[in-house]
Amino acid sequence: MELSEFVQKGLQYLADADYFDVKTFSALVEVAFRSLLASHADEAILDGAEFKHIDQTLLKHCHVAATTCILELAKQNSDKSTICTCLEDIKFDPERIDIFYSSFQKNKSELENLLSSIGRCPPHICDASWRLDYQIKNSHVHKVNQPAYLITLNVENGGARPSEEVHFSCTMEQLQDLVGKMKDAAKSLDKATQM
Amino acid sequence: MEEVDRILIHSLRQTGTEIGDDVDSVKQFSSELIVEAVVRCLRVIDPPLGNGLSPSLPPGMSARFRLGMSLAQACQDLGYKGEIGYQTFLYSSEPEIRSLLMFLVEKLPRASAEASDQPAGKSALLQKAIAAQIRAQLALPWVPPTCRLPLLCQTQSAGVSASFRSQALLLLVAWGLWSVCSVLVREVADYCRDFLPPVTAQPSQHASVPASLLERHALDLSAAQEWENEWNSQGLLTRLSPEAYRSRKRARLQKRVEEQLRPPPSRARARAPPRSGPDLAELLQSIGGRAPGERPGQGHALHPHREVHLHTGTLIILLTFVQEPEASSQQMAVASAMPSSRQSEEDLLAQQQDEMQALQQQLQQLSVRMEEVGGDMKQLSVSITQVSDELKQRELSNSEKECSVRVKKQTIDLLPDAENNLAKLQTLVESSAKRVVSLASQWEKHRAPLIEERRRLKELCSNRELESSRKLSEIKDLHDKIRQSADEAKKKEGLYKQLITEFENLPKDVSRSAYTQRILEIVGNIRKQKEEITKILSDTKDLQKEINSLTGKLDRTFAVTDELVFKDAKKDESVRKSYKYLAALHENCTQLIQTIEDTGTIMREIRDLEEQIETENGKKTVSNLEKILEDYKAIRQENSALATKIREA
Repeated sequence: MELSEFVQKGLQYLADADYFDVKTFSALVEVAFRSLLASHADEAILDGAEFKHIDQTLLKHCHVAATTCILELAKQNSDKSTICTCLEDIKFDPERIDIFYSSFQKNKSELENLLSSIGRCPPHICDASWRLDYQIKNSHVHKVNQPAYLITLNVENGGARPSEEVHFSCTMEQLQDLVGKMKDAAKSLDKATQM
Repeated sequence: MEEVDRILIHSLRQTGTEIGDDVDSVKQFSSELIVEAVVRCLRVIDPPLGNGLSPSLPPGMSARFRLGMSLAQACQDLGYKGEIGYQTFLYSSEPEIRSLLMFLVEKLPRASAEASDQPAGKSALLQKAIAAQIRAQLALPWVPPTCRLPLLCQTQSAGVSASFRSQALLLLVAWGLWSVCSVLVREVADYCRDFLPPVTAQPSQHASVPASLLERHALDLSAAQEWENEWNSQGLLTRLSPEAYRSRKRARLQKRVEEQLRPPPSRARARAPPRSGPDLAELLQSIGGRAPGERPGQGHALHPHREVHLHTGTLIILLTFVQEPEASSQQMAVASAMPSSRQSEEDLLAQQQDEMQALQQQLQQLSVRMEEVGGDMKQLSVSITQVSDELKQRELSNSEKECSVRVKKQTIDLLPDAENNLAKLQTLVESSAKRVVSLASQWEKHRAPLIEERRRLKELCSNRELESSRKLSEIKDLHDKIRQSADEAKKKEGLYKQLITEFENLPKDVSRSAYTQRILEIVGNIRKQKEEITKILSDTKDLQKEINSLTGKLDRTFAVTDELVFKDAKKDESVRKSYKYLAALHENCTQLIQTIEDTGTIMREIRDLEEQIETENGKKTVSNLEKILEDYKAIRQENSALATKIREA
């Protein structure tokens, strides 16, 4: 994994016992995870009593480095060996690696949720109902005599909002086309699993 | 044969043919199964060829016949040498099918074996991971939203999602900004320490924190990479330190930007209406010739300079100087107009017009005065330079005259004792000439080693330069090598990881060692058989040799006996009889031998025929014939049905 020079420098400060003792280190790692996963921004997150003796500039630098490193590790879905080699390269001692790894493991699923929530997702269809109408005539044509399907799709859009509905009407051919396309989609999904 | 069949069935199953568990030899293959197996193999070997064939036997007899024909054609296209036709598939015989299937299985591509030698690219690995993820999600049953456990929520609900929106983050200014704003360093540092919010609190929306951080990091990385590339390709050659290179580049860029922005005519032209040509005088004429109220929109900014007929430099200075106050006055006007929006617009316009005219007049006056003053200044400065030149000339002539006066005075002083003084002067001149010569020789003495030294140093310098360029190229090579080896190491590591995962994923039940042992056994058997065959061959050869020698001996003995007996036969009657017997005996014996040989050949033929009978029996001729009969009847029925249909139609 590649880290920028800025981040590496910050992590090196973190690894250095002259700047951070183990207690402060674990507190900062905790704060980094918390600041990423919290639901709202907190400006006073670095004002804790345990950081009083550290220069604020350095502290902010280390905070940026820690958060960036955590996000990158989560993005790459790193396993234990990758994390260890990555941190060993920056001269972390085994104790600190353990502290970091255990908090990473603890927060991993939440981090994954956080990262996967970036992006767009089309709504999920969770139910469908239909009605077959038969059009006999209308104001323009005396004799139409065509069936028309009225389809209602129940759509689940995000956990929070109530489910919505999508209505549309289509002819027989269009419906067949739709069904065929869906079958194609299912088939290609199947094909994708057989890589 | 069982071994072969098992391998065949295993590889057929891999191609996607559904072979029941109870089938364990080719003998049990039905026609449907054979067709399916062949079609699946064809699809794997040559997709466009195989996709046109259906893997199931159609019900109609003629359709079956056609399918068999096309299958046979496809196999022949692939290069199958054996006898093949529709009958191979419809009325199968075990050995034919086995050889066909063996041919097809050998033709199957071994893509997987070859691919594992190469490290899969990142995209392939990613696709594999995606496939595994999709498989895992497909394996889970769908659950309605209301009864979802939190575990399922991750994968099955759409979730609250926000698009990738990033904001610029202000990281610590310690990085890079120190050098740019060196004056502000202390203030900036204070700001960083005391007021800069932590990076996770900087974005206006908390949801864009991860996106912003990731983007910032990617930006830094790519910038570092860019710099590395540039430094390795161009920077190293300049032999400067990175900082010096950077500052030189910055200066160069600044100069270029200035050059781009400086040229005044282009700027003036850009502001001028399009009809004005490149000629500046014309341009100025066109500006000056327009009436104030003619084109309020376009001529607005240029009105103050109607009277300006100066050269370009002045125009530009005026442009830059005049615009700013004008803009600010406009702003002020707007600001004052804001609260009094109740006033009618015409009033406002008139007021503005008045104001503008007043300002313009003022400006005109000012510029005229400036012009006048400038003219005066020029005249005055010209006269000043003239006067100072005169002064200098006077001073020069003055000092010359002083010099000549001094010389003359000295000569006059010397005049009274002319003889003595002349001699003195001559000695003085001689001694000074001597001194000059000695100084010159001394100078020569000093000069030679110094020149030598200079030459030596020059050589040294050029040597050093050569050395340094050599080292530079070495460094470059080393850089390249380092990068290459790093890449290679990374690739190898990736390959290793991939191979390990693949190895872990491999099914463990296929015992490789058992296979190899069996293969070794078979090879040993074959070797033994070969030895036996050679032994038998040598035996046969020995026998043949013995037979040949015996035949020769017989022939010789017979010839000798024949001659002896024939000689005596002329004299003696009984000997003649015995000669006759001898001839008869010889003939009979030859016949006997002939018969024995004939028996041998016949025995061999019998064996051949027996083998043929066996193979014919293996072809299930009777059942196949019955099948053919039935199919023939079916075809006839179909034909008659078709005929009646035609007749009806």
